[in-house]
Amino acid sequence: MTSASQVLRAPQTVRPRRKGRAGLAVYLTVGTVASILFVLPLAWAVFRSLLPDTLVTAAPSTADVHHLTFGNYSGLIRGQDILHYALNSLLVAVMTAAATAVVATMAGYGFARFRFRGSGVVFALVLATLMVPFQALLTPLFLEMHTLGLTNSLTGLALFYTTFNLPFGVFVMRNTFLQIPWEISEQAAVDGASATRTLVSVLRPLVVPGIATTVLYAFLFSWTEFVGALTFLTSNDLYTLPLALLNMEYGSVGQVNFGWLEAGAVIAMIPCVVLYVALQRYYIRGLTSGVVKG
Amino acid sequence: MVLVSPAFALVSIFVLFSLGFAVYISLTDWPLIGSYHFIGGRNYSELIHDPVFIHSVLFTLLYTAIVTGPILVLGYAMAAFVRANRPGAVVFRTAFFLPFIVGLATESFMLLLELQPDSGAVDAVLHKLGLASLSTAWTVHYGLALGAICVFVIWFASGLTMMILMGGMQGIPRELYEAADVDGATWWQKERGITIPMLRRNIALSLIISVIGSFLAFNQFFILTEGGPGTSTEPVVMWIYQEAFIAYHLGYATAGAIALVVVVGIISAAQFYLLRDEADRKTPKRRLRRRR
Repeated sequence: MTSASQVLRAPQTVRPRRKGRAGLAVYLTVGTVASILFVLPLAWAVFRSLLPDTLVTAAPSTADVHHLTFGNYSGLIRGQDILHYALNSLLVAVMTAAATAVVATMAGYGFARFRFRGSGVVFALVLATLMVPFQALLTPLFLEMHTLGLTNSLTGLALFYTTFNLPFGVFVMRNTFLQIPWEISEQAAVDGASATRTLVSVLRPLVVPGIATTVLYAFLFSWTEFVGALTFLTSNDLYTLPLALLNMEYGSVGQVNFGWLEAGAVIAMIPCVVLYVALQRYYIRGLTSGVVKG
Repeated sequence: MVLVSPAFALVSIFVLFSLGFAVYISLTDWPLIGSYHFIGGRNYSELIHDPVFIHSVLFTLLYTAIVTGPILVLGYAMAAFVRANRPGAVVFRTAFFLPFIVGLATESFMLLLELQPDSGAVDAVLHKLGLASLSTAWTVHYGLALGAICVFVIWFASGLTMMILMGGMQGIPRELYEAADVDGATWWQKERGITIPMLRRNIALSLIISVIGSFLAFNQFFILTEGGPGTSTEPVVMWIYQEAFIAYHLGYATAGAIALVVVVGIISAAQFYLLRDEADRKTPKRRLRRRR
């Protein structure tokens, strides 16, 4: 990293200093304005969620800043039991992330380390899932999951999410294991470690970044997914956050409580922002693999 | 092989079996409850004469046609802006990508308030600029709703294109640009002569991902317009959902879904192909050119 940045900075010092400074000022100004365009709508939603009922449904005005309150959040917690739905979302996301990590790591290791009859075909099949839009398979999936007792179940939803995260996870994990210098595991084998022990203790430090990427994607996918949850969950009790918000939009007779809707959306947004900002390098690692869905 | 069997089992049950099962369902008059009958290709022949389905297909194509270009151009510009190792670049990159991370569903709920007449920020801002009345109801007019959602989606998705392109841009050897600088090339000449040709694979990949994403649009329309007014802003996935789980015509809905699977499958086969190229380390650029 340091050598790369030195190389990149070198030409700048050659340029006349004043031109470099002015260029940087323009760069920072343009970048800041553009960043505001992308972030402001999200920050604005936070602001709106802090307004009392009467002001949320009125045209925004500068006087609003004097009336900020957590009323919508306390109302959501007491009136809508929003923490219950947040917990449902969290449960599904954690189950999805854990299951994807385990299944993808095993498969990634298997595909990278061993060649067996049909391994190419099986790998192609798993990766081909990438080409299948689950949004178009809602009907057969609903009927199958219903037969298996997996509809209206958070575990069932997590299994469904896990499956459609697998092509990404398996691809990332296989590449992770392929990049590992094999002498390490061979040395471990010479020292008498079993295949499992090699995987767990010797390769772990090299493999953890790959797992982090897989977990992050699975978690965010599950946390933000909407149409699958809408189809496979029918009882109000099991709703994930987006469905609870939808319920607030369409379930209420007459007027939508926009203050609550804003506050609920902000609650749904926060984990995504925190996770992404904290684990950005793992996220970008995944993007460069090319197996991303829009 | 024990290690890969859980992955294989999940994919077999939920993907491969579902695909075959979907074909079977589409050849029946499957209701949600009760018995079904095999009716051959009747669902398909009805489908191509169904004005609501045809409209949803055309609407999805129109929506895709509107957003794809701006997402690519904006994503490219942003990638070019943040690719260099300059102060602030990482912060800007994070900011540009944030809308994609938060997700369309959450943001649609946020946008719903801002598109309301009299209380929405969109009307307030446009009114200040003298561009719209304070009581414009965005979500209940076909053109306004489509326009607003397109702007929303471009804001949402261009960060993803930026990330895909940025990865490729950073892999281009700096010597190429330095050589061009010596020749006195302008910024645009360098982009046209070096970046774009070197980036062909990434551009193709980002276009594929963006087009598939548009074909599968659902959340923003379901939450913001509910497909309305009437069914005028109903994309294909929403047609499938309504037909299957609101009208309980599972067989008919699945016939429409099969059409979507085929179209998306063909487009993502191209993505698959590009990935395989990379995995096998065969010269991707030459192959890509041959396909065109």
